[in-house]
Amino acid sequence: MGRKAHKNDSLPGSLDMLILRTLSRRNLHGYGIVQFIQQSSGDELLIEEGSLYPALQRLELNGWIDGVWGVTSNNRRARIYKVTAAGRKQLEVEARKYAKLTLAIARVMGAE
Amino acid sequence: MLIRRLRYWVEGASRSEALREEMELHLAEKAAGLEADGMTADCARAEARRRFGNVGQKQEESREIWITRILSELGQDIRYGCRTMSANKAFSALAVLSLALGIGANTTIYSFMESILLRSLPVADPESLMVLNWHSRPPLNANKESVHVMHGLQGLAWPGDKGDMVLGIFPYGAFETLREENPSFSTLFGYCNGHNKTLAIRGQAMSAGTEYVTGAYFRGLAVSPAAGRLIDSEDDRPGKAPVAVISFVTSQNRFGGAPNAIGQSIVVDNVSFTVIGVTPPEFFGVDPAAAPDLYLPLHTNLLVDGARAAAMYPDGNFYWIEMMGRLRPGVSMAQAQAALAPRFHQWVAATATTDGERAKLPALILNPGAAGLGSLRRRYSKPLYVLLTMVGLILAIACANIANLLLARAAARRREMAVRLSLGAGRFRVVRQLITESVMLASLGGALGVLVALWGVRSLPFLFSNGQQNVTLHAELNWNVLGVTALLSVICGLLFGLAPAFQATRPDVMPALKNGCGGGPRRRAQHVLVVAQIAISFLILVAAGLFVRTLNNLHSVQLGYTRENILLFSLNARQAGHRDPEIATFYADLRKRLESIPGVGSATLSQSSIINAARAGQAIRGEMKIGAVTIEDARSLAAGPRFLTTMQIPILAGREIDERDQPGSRPVAVISEELAHTYFGHENPLGRQITLPDEKRDLEIVGVSGNLRYGGLKNEEGSAMTVFVAVSQVSQDRVTYALRTAGDPLRYVQSVHEIVREADSRIPVTNVVTQAAEIDRTISQEVTFAKLCTGFAVLALLMACVGLYGTMSYSVARQVGEIGIRMALGAQRGAVVWMVLRRVLILAAAGLAISVPAALIASRLVKSLLFETQPNDPGTLALAAVVLVSAAIIAGYAPASRASRIDPLAALRHE
Repeated sequence: MGRKAHKNDSLPGSLDMLILRTLSRRNLHGYGIVQFIQQSSGDELLIEEGSLYPALQRLELNGWIDGVWGVTSNNRRARIYKVTAAGRKQLEVEARKYAKLTLAIARVMGAE
Repeated sequence: MLIRRLRYWVEGASRSEALREEMELHLAEKAAGLEADGMTADCARAEARRRFGNVGQKQEESREIWITRILSELGQDIRYGCRTMSANKAFSALAVLSLALGIGANTTIYSFMESILLRSLPVADPESLMVLNWHSRPPLNANKESVHVMHGLQGLAWPGDKGDMVLGIFPYGAFETLREENPSFSTLFGYCNGHNKTLAIRGQAMSAGTEYVTGAYFRGLAVSPAAGRLIDSEDDRPGKAPVAVISFVTSQNRFGGAPNAIGQSIVVDNVSFTVIGVTPPEFFGVDPAAAPDLYLPLHTNLLVDGARAAAMYPDGNFYWIEMMGRLRPGVSMAQAQAALAPRFHQWVAATATTDGERAKLPALILNPGAAGLGSLRRRYSKPLYVLLTMVGLILAIACANIANLLLARAAARRREMAVRLSLGAGRFRVVRQLITESVMLASLGGALGVLVALWGVRSLPFLFSNGQQNVTLHAELNWNVLGVTALLSVICGLLFGLAPAFQATRPDVMPALKNGCGGGPRRRAQHVLVVAQIAISFLILVAAGLFVRTLNNLHSVQLGYTRENILLFSLNARQAGHRDPEIATFYADLRKRLESIPGVGSATLSQSSIINAARAGQAIRGEMKIGAVTIEDARSLAAGPRFLTTMQIPILAGREIDERDQPGSRPVAVISEELAHTYFGHENPLGRQITLPDEKRDLEIVGVSGNLRYGGLKNEEGSAMTVFVAVSQVSQDRVTYALRTAGDPLRYVQSVHEIVREADSRIPVTNVVTQAAEIDRTISQEVTFAKLCTGFAVLALLMACVGLYGTMSYSVARQVGEIGIRMALGAQRGAVVWMVLRRVLILAAAGLAISVPAALIASRLVKSLLFETQPNDPGTLALAAVVLVSAAIIAGYAPASRASRIDPLAALRHE
């Protein structure tokens, strides 16, 4: 399965960051998050959909996101997640870490 | 975080439901999306599910984020642990059992040590209490003459440093001198053991342990009464109305409650006292060995004990009163001793009359009194330390076994661990599993250990009491100790569980997956453990051997009199008001009435039983002479008619003491064969005289008896030279009757009580016991020791064998391939057996090499507990070694024979 090659497992921990980033733009429910990440990455990043939910639980437990029952665009009951203040801080931390990492990788790749 | 986790956990069910709903929505939307892309509804749903992954597993993973994960995994671990345990039933059971016995035994023994050796008196600020003692060189000089400023004593001496003797008793004059203007003590109080008195309450007589106390006693100890008031200085004066304080237990038993006792009249040895107070329930006086029922003002001994007591007060050379003081705040023990010692020296120097006496004057020393007097400590500390060492060693073996078990198990499960790791189990998760199992083993052992300890604390006093009355071993389960031992075992479990767990979960799983072997250092660790176990077992085996030998020696002591079918009991008619000369008639009449009980062959009386004679004191104090020759080392015993017949001591010549020997008639004596032989040679001793210069009278020898063991079985100095005198012809206080009965002596106890009550209802019958039991209880400590040590030795041996068996099985399992090749190349089965057994023998030899020297040194420490047995007894050592090696061979034979049955083909194919 070629598509699996793009599965989000090359950068461990980046799923949390992606979720936080997505939710910092707008409040979404689970499926919405998957859709958003997929679309905004130009279909390059495929989240293993099942893994989303453990990740959401972990983030909520850490107090970074907050889920409340709401209604989706097509009028179905769903848990809508929004990012908390602590979550924004965490996003900054992770984004910085990520930037550092990609820079380091880029250096290595360009160091020939 | 924690609070949120807890909330999640509480809301677990509704959150699970929400999660399920969320996931379903996700799937539905996904399917809808796919359907919009042109899939059929069914296909879209299937595809959505496929892309989502395992719904159940994802739900599980999400839930695992919550706290319930820890709990559910713990449950899994425990269930899995139970399965592994039941798969290795025998091994696990032995590990748990040995740990339980180890913990239980340690807790029991240490609880006793704590209560006997360490616990403080139940009074306020016990640390400031000081016991006054003195020490000096022993009175006997080179010529075996007694030269000492102490001319007489009532109390005990015990050995101190450098051959000194130590005593805690003083003349009354010394007490008065130290009490006045004392800069170191806020109070100084005295007391004196009144021994057993006949206490009559409402006409019912009982024997009551009595303590005479000075007026400051209760104030000095800072005890408050449970009812009424306690004795004070006003009560302790000659001529005051006699008052008494009784113990809480006595008030409960005899008056039905402490308040009821106040103001009641009681009779102590025929003297009326008024009860003024009751001591609090936890109070037991100053000696943990005795809990008096009755406290009397010191000077009332003038009324109760009469002229004898009156003579003690002014006599500066008679030592009898014990003392304790309470330090003033800010004064140290050393300061107090420095202040008091010169004053005592000055006082005691004035009581010395000769240079010989001045040369070894007593020197005052202070000892901490927080734990009360040291009699129990002196008696039990050595045996308890020996037992504590032994149970400590047992616990060490038990821990080694647990360690061995876990090591072997970790090795066996290396492959399992590797599989789990390579399938993606977290390392922590696997380690936690192993730790859970170790802790489970340890806690199971600990829980059983509590039961063992509870049982042990209840049964040990019985084993230890030495049969003496009034010995109160206030032992209760010490939960602190139990906690420490249990913790120790859990730590041991963790430690030995953790090491192999980390080793087994090393990321490098490939070698383990390939062959399931490896673990060189682990094998060495196992061997070290087994050698240690063998060494410790040997030590315990030697100890058991020595104590069993001691017991055998004691059992084979020739008594010279019968031990079976004799009933003994004591009474004291003088305390009930009988006086000379009527008392002799009373005792003689009572003997005749006892002899008339159907089934009683003969009845006799004596000043004490033969076993207790050494403790009860001599019937004749002072010298005995035959002509001009002093009889040395002879013991005297006052006996009534038919004593030799009842005790089945042979009469070799003449007659025994009988009813013709009355207070007024010619004084007579019966001597033992040894005495007759030593002092008369081949002459006939009958009709010859023994002169008593101190009493200014002569005894005519009327008979010769067989030799007998006077005093206890262990009484090594006790010679076989005995002089029996007629009990009616010496002063009689307490006497012991002996009945020779047909059948079980205890069946006659009821008749004895009836007859004594008929004779005089004021006299209580005490110390009712069979002769056999009385003899046995003098050696009950040895019996206990032999039993406990044998038990410990069996346990140790068993555990060591289990360890050995486990190790050898494991190493055989690891060498299947090698053995297979050897056999394929023509090795005989015998050679294979020998190969394994040789390793067993090497381990055993290594253990012995360590422990034989250790045993030689350690056994010297228990010398004082042995009887006619040398500590380095070669027979015992050899026997222990033989037992140990045989056990090792038996333990090693099973794996060895398994090795020899290996099928080379199967083994090689497996490889």
